[in-house]
Amino acid sequence: MMTLKIAFRNIFRQKRRTILTALAMIVGFALSSVFIGWSDGAYSDIIEMFTQNRIGHIQVHGDDYLDKPSLYKTMVDYEAIGQTIGSVKGVEAWTPRVYSAGLGSVGEKSTTVQIIGIDVVREVEATRFDKKIIDGKVISAQPRHEAVLGKGLAKNLSAVVGDEIVIVSQGADGSIANDLYEIVGIAESGDDITDRMACYLHIGDAQELLVLEGRSHEIVVIVSNINRVLKIAESIETELGDSTLDVAPWQVVAKDFYRAMQADQQGDAIGRIIIMLIVAIGVLNTVLMSVLERTSEYGVLKAVGTKPIQIFWLVVCEVLIIALGSIVVGAVFGTAANHLLSIYGITMPQEFTYGGIKFQTMYAEVNARSLIIPAMTVMLSAAIVSLFPALKAARILPARAMRTH
Amino acid sequence: MANNDVIVTESITKVYAGNGVPVEALRGVDLTIQSGEFTALVGPSGSGKTTLLNLISGLDTPTDGKVWLSGKLLSGMSGSELSDFRRDNIGFIFQAYNLIPVLTVEENVEYIMLLQHVSKAERHRRVAAMLEEVGLAGFGDRNPPQLSGGQQQRVAIARAMVSEPAIILADEPTANLDSRTGADLLDMMSHLNIQTNMTFVFSTHDPMVMERARRLITLKDGQVESDVMK
Ligand SMILES: Nc1ncnc2c1ncn2[C@@H]1O[C@H](COP(=O)(O)OP(=O)(O)OP(=O)(O)O)[C@@H](O)[C@H]1O
Ligand SMILES: [Mg+2]
Repeated sequence: MMTLKIAFRNIFRQKRRTILTALAMIVGFALSSVFIGWSDGAYSDIIEMFTQNRIGHIQVHGDDYLDKPSLYKTMVDYEAIGQTIGSVKGVEAWTPRVYSAGLGSVGEKSTTVQIIGIDVVREVEATRFDKKIIDGKVISAQPRHEAVLGKGLAKNLSAVVGDEIVIVSQGADGSIANDLYEIVGIAESGDDITDRMACYLHIGDAQELLVLEGRSHEIVVIVSNINRVLKIAESIETELGDSTLDVAPWQVVAKDFYRAMQADQQGDAIGRIIIMLIVAIGVLNTVLMSVLERTSEYGVLKAVGTKPIQIFWLVVCEVLIIALGSIVVGAVFGTAANHLLSIYGITMPQEFTYGGIKFQTMYAEVNARSLIIPAMTVMLSAAIVSLFPALKAARILPARAMRTH
Repeated sequence: MANNDVIVTESITKVYAGNGVPVEALRGVDLTIQSGEFTALVGPSGSGKTTLLNLISGLDTPTDGKVWLSGKLLSGMSGSELSDFRRDNIGFIFQAYNLIPVLTVEENVEYIMLLQHVSKAERHRRVAAMLEEVGLAGFGDRNPPQLSGGQQQRVAIARAMVSEPAIILADEPTANLDSRTGADLLDMMSHLNIQTNMTFVFSTHDPMVMERARRLITLKDGQVESDVMK
C-alpha cells in the first residue's frame, strides 16, 4: 500500500520526465496497435476475397476429389445434398459445380480450357458471379448452349462476345464429347490463373457434354460468419452423415495459401520488436536517472527497515503505473487510428497481388488482438527494463547512500 | 555477555577504500552498552563517530570485528533479516534530516509502523501523540520541504521514536536546532529514556548533549580515547 502511494507520488514529482517516458510507451503502443490492426484488416480482406470469389468458405466433394480430382468422382443427387447443407445454421448459400478439362477453339485458335459447369442462379447468389462479368452478360438461367470465358482465355483465343466456341472433351461414358457454344460474356474473377483457363457453361449443358446427368463434382458453401467456418463445416458433416462425402473448410481447400498466409502473419513479430525497442530506450534512461537521483532516499528507506525487495517493487511499480496509464492513452489513439483506417483505408500507389488477388486499397480492422498484444508488450518490456534499475536501488548500501547529498 | 548488554562491539575496524588512499576510520573499538543507557559519543570531526553508529546499526559492515545487538550477531543476518531487525529494534536519527520528501510529515512518522503492520487506529494515535511531543502538532499534512531545518529534524526524531525501539542511535541530532528546541528535545528523550528504558546513543559536538549524557565516550583517530560514567 505504502509502496504504491510512494510510487504514485514519485511519478508526479518529475512531471516532464514522466511525460517523456509515457510518450515513448504511448507512441510504441499506438504504432504497434495500428501495425497489427492494419495487417489483420488486410489479411481479413484477402481471405474474404479469396474465399468469396473463388473457393467459397467450405467445399463438399465426393470423397478424395480434393486430393485427386477426376471426372468420375461425382456426387449423385447433389440437389438433395445441397438442400441438406442449406438447412444447416450459419450457411448462407450453396452452389454446385461440374469440372472437366477440354480443348476450346474459336476460329483458327485453340487452347486448353477448364470447363466449369455452374448453376447460374445459385452462383450469382453465392459468389456474385454476375459482378465478375466485364463484357456481355451472364449465362441464361436455362441451358441454351451459352458460355462465359475468362478474360485471359478470351484474349488467348482472340474471342469476343458473339463468337462461337467449340469444346472438345471426353464424356464420363468414354465417348468423345464435343459441342458448340455461343460466347455471351467475358468474366474477370480477380485471379489471373483461373481467368486464363475458365470456360463457364450452364451446369445442364456441362452435364450433357460430359455425360454426367444429375451429378456434380463440387458444392461450394458460403457461410454468414467466416470466423465460425470450422464449426459450421462440422455441423454440415454431421448433418450429411455420409462418409463418402468430404467436407472441407477453406483452410483445407487452400492449404498452401493458408500456410503461406500464416507464415506472413509472423510479421507481427516485427511490430512487437518495434515497440519493445521504443519502450526500452524511452524507459531505461529515465528510470536509471531517477534511481540515481534518489539514491539517498532509497538509503533512508532501507535504513529505517524497508526490505530490499520492497525497494525493488517500489521502482518497478513506478514504471508499471506509467505503463498502465500509457496503455490506456495508447489504446484510445490506436483504436481511433484503426477505426479511421477501417473506413478510409490506405490506397497504394500501385496495385499489388496476393494469392492471385489484386489489391490497391487496404483497410485496417479494430480487433482485440491490436490492443492485447501491444498492451502485453508494453507491460513486459517496461517490467524487463525496470528490473536493472530496481535491482540497483534494492542493493543500495544505506550508509554510503546517505552520504551522497 | 551479560543479559542487558544491548550493544557489544568486539575489536571492530573500518577501512574505507575510497579513491586510492585507504582511510582507517575505526581502528579496533571494543564497547559494551547496556540497556537503558543515555550515552554520548564525542570527538573531533573525522574521529569516526558516524562510522561507528553505522556499523552498530548494521547500515554498514565492519572491515573486521563483530557487532552484537540484543545478543544477535549482525554479520550472521541476511539483508532481509537485518531490515526487519532494524525496523523492530533500532530508531535512527541521521546527521542530515533524511525524510522522504513525497510523504507528508504524518506519513513519514507513520512509515515504520506501516512496515510493522500496526493497525490504522493505533498508528494515528501514536503519530498524533508523537507530533505533539516534538511540538509539531498541526504540521501533519505538510511536506518536509515546507518545513525549517529544525522542524525537519524533529520529524526525524519523531519517526525514530514512534515505534518505541529498544535502541535509538542519533547522529548529531541537535546540530541543526536552536538551543531552545534542542534542549526541549533532549529533555523529551531523557524523559522517554527513564520512562521506557529505551537505550540512547548520540554522537555529538553539542555541550548540551554531553551535559545530559550519563556516559561519555570520546573517540580519537578511530579509537576510544576515554570512557567516562557520570
Ligand atoms: N564512505 C567513505 N569513504 C571514504 N572515507 C570515509 C567515508 N566515510 C567516512 N570516511 C572517512 O572516515 C573518517 C571518519 O568519518 P566519520 O564520518 O565517521 O567521522 P565523524 O566523527 O562522524 O565526523 P563529523 O563529526 O564531522 O561528523 C573520516 O576521515 C572520513 O573522511
Ligand atoms: Mg559524523
